[in-house]
Amino acid sequence: MKKLIALSLFVLVATLSFAQKKTDYDKKLKELGIELYTPSKPIANYVKAVRVGNLLYLSGHGPAQADGTNITGKLGADMTVEQGYAAAKQTGISILSTLKAELGDLNKVKRVVKVLGMVNCTDTFTDHPKVINGFSDLMVAVFGDKGKHARSAVGMNQLPGNMATEIEIIVEIE
Amino acid sequence: MKKIIALFLFASVATITCAQKIDYDKKLKDLGITLITPAKPVANYVKVVRTGKLLYLSGDGPTLPDGSYITGKVGADLTVEQGYAAAKQTGVSILSTLKAELGDLNKVKRIVKVLGMVNCTSTFTDQPKVINGFSDLMVAVFGEKGKHARSAVGMSSLPSNIAVEIEIIVEVE
Repeated sequence: MKKLIALSLFVLVATLSFAQKKTDYDKKLKELGIELYTPSKPIANYVKAVRVGNLLYLSGHGPAQADGTNITGKLGADMTVEQGYAAAKQTGISILSTLKAELGDLNKVKRVVKVLGMVNCTDTFTDHPKVINGFSDLMVAVFGDKGKHARSAVGMNQLPGNMATEIEIIVEIE
Repeated sequence: MKKIIALFLFASVATITCAQKIDYDKKLKDLGITLITPAKPVANYVKVVRTGKLLYLSGDGPTLPDGSYITGKVGADLTVEQGYAAAKQTGVSILSTLKAELGDLNKVKRIVKVLGMVNCTSTFTDQPKVINGFSDLMVAVFGEKGKHARSAVGMSSLPSNIAVEIEIIVEVE
């Protein structure tokens, strides 16, 4: 009798754990109006993601669009904060595309741990956090509490190809 | 008899191990450091994320007790000495976050990695001397545990024109 109760409890807990954890990310992204794309391949001696234990280190990503081009420009000179926010959000889409390609299933993301958000800007620009919010807001919208991360938002005097933002992240995975 | 010896050894080891606990309140007081109340994030991020035994901290600035920052660009409106002081104040802010997060600074096993970013002109080259303000504080407070890997770099600008922004990775018990 005791064994039967123990087994029933185990099955119940296992079912609850399994049922609660899986999120339909395809549906969630669709509701958010987000379309992932096939990430471009690196053209030099680096890779998009490296796994160490249960941490995934991603290379810096830019605001890459589906056609492969980046949103370019310099905050404080030829881009507004709103345009910067949109670029940071697009960088988030690029990163989600890499995560999906790398992991197969976004449910494998246990936590977005650390973000370095780099803004291409003039040396008098001071609203870097408002720009990088475009990325942070997307992570929380997609992953909920798992998307809440530690972050640094900083200014760079130049970024590759004059892209507006470059963001690198560390993700904890199952 | 064997049990008594075993118990004695255990008690000795336990006492010695307990003796490793440091009175950080006293140490900080001796160093003239007063921790501050960390500000709450105002956007969709958190101050600290723990993964396994590592704590990843968000970038922090030279926050003063009243919540304002030390601002300015080293090489333009701040000297290296003023930059050092800003980096040290950033260390005070980070210690305050660690204390709030961990409850007890004895839980810090090692300051692993530091990225020290200096708000500076494009001709400024003494970033290490500025970030030393932070590194020196970590070693003064934590001793050997405070010795970290580090990158000291120049940034063309930082949020709200703060003089220094520093992010760290900490190993905890």
